[in-house]
Amino acid sequence: MNAHDNNELRELLTRSIAPMNDTELRRDLWPQMLQRLEQQHSIRVPWFDWTLAAIAAAAVILFPEVIPALLYHL
Amino acid sequence: MNQHTYLRAYMAGIVVPTIFFLVIATVFYIWRYVYNVPVPIERVLVFPMAFVPNLWGLWNMLFIASHSRTRLPIGLHGALLPLVLAPLGILLFRVLDFPALPLFAHIFPIAAPIGLIAYYLVWKYLVHFLNAVLGIA
Repeated sequence: MNAHDNNELRELLTRSIAPMNDTELRRDLWPQMLQRLEQQHSIRVPWFDWTLAAIAAAAVILFPEVIPALLYHL
Repeated sequence: MNQHTYLRAYMAGIVVPTIFFLVIATVFYIWRYVYNVPVPIERVLVFPMAFVPNLWGLWNMLFIASHSRTRLPIGLHGALLPLVLAPLGILLFRVLDFPALPLFAHIFPIAAPIGLIAYYLVWKYLVHFLNAVLGIA
């Protein structure tokens, strides 16, 4: 491949690949990325589940004789 | 990471009861040998040791297999498992002639709802988390 071929190849590449004029981001993407990361790590427990857990805990405290049966089946 | 989906579902399913069995075994053995409770617990310990973890794994496989059709939330799917486990446990008690069976029958109306709630919460949060870790949630 001589110099002429190199120039021809350069011209072909320049013509086929459009120049990128606007290379700047229109907005900052990092806050969105942070928000997504936080969503992945945080577990939201609805009030209904807290209520169920409280009822179960209260029942176990009031009736401790159920503990062996629960342990046996868990 | 979409290969061996059911194997991963099984593995995710058995984690919680396998770890929890350490607690169960410790409590039962202390109860039996430290406090000398005259109940032959070792006779029925095979149930939480072998049946329960395997059924959890199979139940999670069933969840993965059926979720696209049933759309049942994982918490509710898990809450159905005691309906399978409890009769099996009671059957094992009967077969092995376990002396505490009348006591278990007496406390069943209280223990059953607590068990359903516990299973619902554990499956909704822990098993769901493990499924997500293994890429099958």
